[in-house]
Amino acid sequence: MEKIITVGLGEYALSQDPQDILVAYGLGSCVGISMYDQRLCLAGLLHALLPIHPVGSNDSYARYVDTGINVLIDEMIKKGADRFRLVVRMAGGANMLTAPGFTGSFNIGTRNVEAAFTTLNDLKMKISGKEVGGTSGRTVKFYVKDGRMTIRSIGNQEREV
Amino acid sequence: MTETSLKFDEELHSLLVVMANEGVHNAAKGMSDMVGESLDVDSPQIKRVPIKEIPDLLGGPEAEAVGIYLRVEGKIGGQMMMVVPYLKALELVDLMMGSPVGTTQSLGPIERSALQEMGNLTGSFFLNAVAATTGLDARPSPPAVMVDMIGAIIDIILATSDNLSETVLMLQAKFLRNGREAEVDFWIIPDKNTIERMAKGE
Repeated sequence: MEKIITVGLGEYALSQDPQDILVAYGLGSCVGISMYDQRLCLAGLLHALLPIHPVGSNDSYARYVDTGINVLIDEMIKKGADRFRLVVRMAGGANMLTAPGFTGSFNIGTRNVEAAFTTLNDLKMKISGKEVGGTSGRTVKFYVKDGRMTIRSIGNQEREV
Repeated sequence: MTETSLKFDEELHSLLVVMANEGVHNAAKGMSDMVGESLDVDSPQIKRVPIKEIPDLLGGPEAEAVGIYLRVEGKIGGQMMMVVPYLKALELVDLMMGSPVGTTQSLGPIERSALQEMGNLTGSFFLNAVAATTGLDARPSPPAVMVDMIGAIIDIILATSDNLSETVLMLQAKFLRNGREAEVDFWIIPDKNTIERMAKGE
């Protein structure tokens, strides 16, 4: 039986159970970053809200893209994953407010995506698949069984990245 | 919870009951002018809702909804969002345009613009009541309309709020016209410095 594990906002989840599907529902400006170690059948999914963790803040690391990516990698490594074997994919980072007057100051989606690129680049990790930006929310499903990641948005077919 | 936020909760709640009633009734007056026919509104309900629970109240994070978003600037700063589940939004457009129920099947530019105008009116009238009650100025930005998954709409509130208080004030109002009704939720998220100012009684 397939089992859905919901990854809420500012959370991450790991699983090695082939029955599990990690799901982040309704990502708007948030980003979902998935990592997969095929050899271990180990999957991890992060659902981050904001780009950069403020220095000195006690806020949860998983809430931010930069610290969230690092926490996810650390947890994957603790389970035996090899950083350079990880398949990394990314979705989300839409700019939900497209009305004039909002776009300049509210482009959090874009900043989230940029933070992910920078963080992964600094870690010398490449992104194998992505669907980012745009103006629509997305639901991400990440299948532990085979590392497949699919995306659904309103008015569109579910698709794989 | 800090002392400041406790005090704020009590004060704001009682203040909001007064303001919301006035504000929403004013908004209905404004809308009556807009549609050229008398439009009524029920006394709004006000509650404090944890952000995490909002998606489930509206049918789950993937449920499609319409969000009309305003920033509030001035001595009182914050965010306001009018939220209606997608199908209800279609009914709301019918109600506003005076069309039979079921006329509106999708939200094109005209329908979006009608909703935007409604957000604009309700936002302005609501804020006028807030300003009149508190003596502090509060001006709305132009509204932005979002039609998307509830989860994605909430992201905006969370990501742009400097007050990650994990709860929002939810105001539920019912607009009535010719025996038809449309229920609308308003979320109100004051900025951190506005909360501090109000808590200090400034």
